[in-house]
Amino acid sequence: MTAALTVTALEAGYEPGLPILRGASLNVRTGDIVAILGPNGAGKSTLIKAIAGLVPITAGRVHLGAQDITATPAHLMVRQGLGFVPQTENVFADLSVADNLDLAVAILKLAKKTRLAEIYALFPDLARQRRLMAGQLSGGQRQMLAVARALVVSPRVLMLDEPSAGLSPRLVALVFEKLVAIKRSGVTIILVEQNARAALAIADQAVILVEGKERLVGKARDLADDPQVAALYLGQAGGGRH
Amino acid sequence: MLQLLADGLIIGSVIALGAIGVTLTYALLRFANFGHGEFLTWGAYLALSALGGFLAMTGATSMSPIEPFSFGWPLLAALGIAAPLTALIALTLDWLLFARLRRHGNAIVLVIASFGAALALRNLLQFFYGAIPEYYSREIQIAIRFVPRDVMGGMRITPDQLFVLALAIVTVCVLHLFLTRTTLGKAMRATAMNPLLARVTGIDVEAVIRLTWIVGAMLGAVAGIFAGLTTQLRPQLGFDLLLPLFAAAILGGIGSVWGAVIGGLIVGLAESLAVPLVGAEYRAAMAFAVIIVILLVKPSGLFAKPRQ
Repeated sequence: MTAALTVTALEAGYEPGLPILRGASLNVRTGDIVAILGPNGAGKSTLIKAIAGLVPITAGRVHLGAQDITATPAHLMVRQGLGFVPQTENVFADLSVADNLDLAVAILKLAKKTRLAEIYALFPDLARQRRLMAGQLSGGQRQMLAVARALVVSPRVLMLDEPSAGLSPRLVALVFEKLVAIKRSGVTIILVEQNARAALAIADQAVILVEGKERLVGKARDLADDPQVAALYLGQAGGGRH
Repeated sequence: MLQLLADGLIIGSVIALGAIGVTLTYALLRFANFGHGEFLTWGAYLALSALGGFLAMTGATSMSPIEPFSFGWPLLAALGIAAPLTALIALTLDWLLFARLRRHGNAIVLVIASFGAALALRNLLQFFYGAIPEYYSREIQIAIRFVPRDVMGGMRITPDQLFVLALAIVTVCVLHLFLTRTTLGKAMRATAMNPLLARVTGIDVEAVIRLTWIVGAMLGAVAGIFAGLTTQLRPQLGFDLLLPLFAAAILGGIGSVWGAVIGGLIVGLAESLAVPLVGAEYRAAMAFAVIIVILLVKPSGLFAKPRQ
């Protein structure tokens, strides 16, 4: 299978001379869900933010398909087909649900009616609440809107930063169910998660990141079944909850 | 009493237009631009130059007024030239100064730099135009009596003042439609709410910043021209309005366009109504009093929404 996204020896950080990523590499196959796991401070969120153009890259390359997007500004990444859902503050609270979705479509000059119809079919709750301000939505609904906002521009690769954070187990299950449905529509997904067990349950591949570099890469099922991996990197908190 | 209300609303409408620029810049760039007052002054003087140019082209020595106003079409055309030129000054200032400082992400440095920019712009203007007050028109206007003298002291308004009030209302309504109905306007609001999310939504934040400077400076220029039309043009025109502009923006809640409008009207009314209480010499202090009161009672302002 071809690579949807390739990251090679990436070094990146928020402050000059203080890299968080120290040569991280990643090879994401088209159509896969890849879970990025690891302890706190491993650089998981920084990795996808750097890919999205939100954290300065000091070394290494990022390719989306065959295209080098290492130096592409964040707003142009969306046009290239890279979607990103931040962990928090991931909707425009003072805009309506409809405006949150319309804005991205209008900026990219996409066929509005078709795209919105597809999105509302996938997220029927949002269709019912399209006139509400995004800030009035519940945590779970906000997360759905955040995913829908990134999805409305038809990304090839969708990156999500801890989409389960702050959600109840029932809502986490619902969000992850949607991610599986999105994957089935042909979108490649990169998922940064603290809830490792839940992420591994839907992922095809997994990468365990430690100190800014990948420590383990493999099939999600294999990593989930490996007791040593579970003890060292997945933690007790993730065990057996989902 | 009614006269004071009318005067307050007219000066308030000028303050409101200027305060919109202050609040938009603050919401988007996260710093208080103390150079904003100079956009009002430069806008007013550039309109004076454009007006002079029109008159020179037509060979006229003064503008023929459109009855019942003191000004004619050349001033309206001059407004159309001065507003974009003021926007050009704002964009140049951003390119030369603020954009470079923004990269370091220190708001205090930007605020101090805006003080410096204000001084430079004011002195440059004084160098070109001199310090003597100027007028767009020396036509004498007869104020129209709207309310008889025996009803709460009566109310008289000049046609120019009515024009300023009406055009300020139209401008604010157009801006409201722009911000709520157009993609660019929504992109501006989205960027002010959350610049990072705006970027990953595909919004070119740098372009939105440029648009904000353009909108803010053009509104500032219109406010300056209105201030010049209803009073006179002086190099301190914008500087003298700076405190009321900030009082209006803070009172309305930083980032809220309608807040700036309401804040502007309240500050204008407060200044006007203070005259019989504290005397005309202290009316300017009312803006300061408004800032103190609002910071003590409701520091986020009347209409501010919590930042994301």
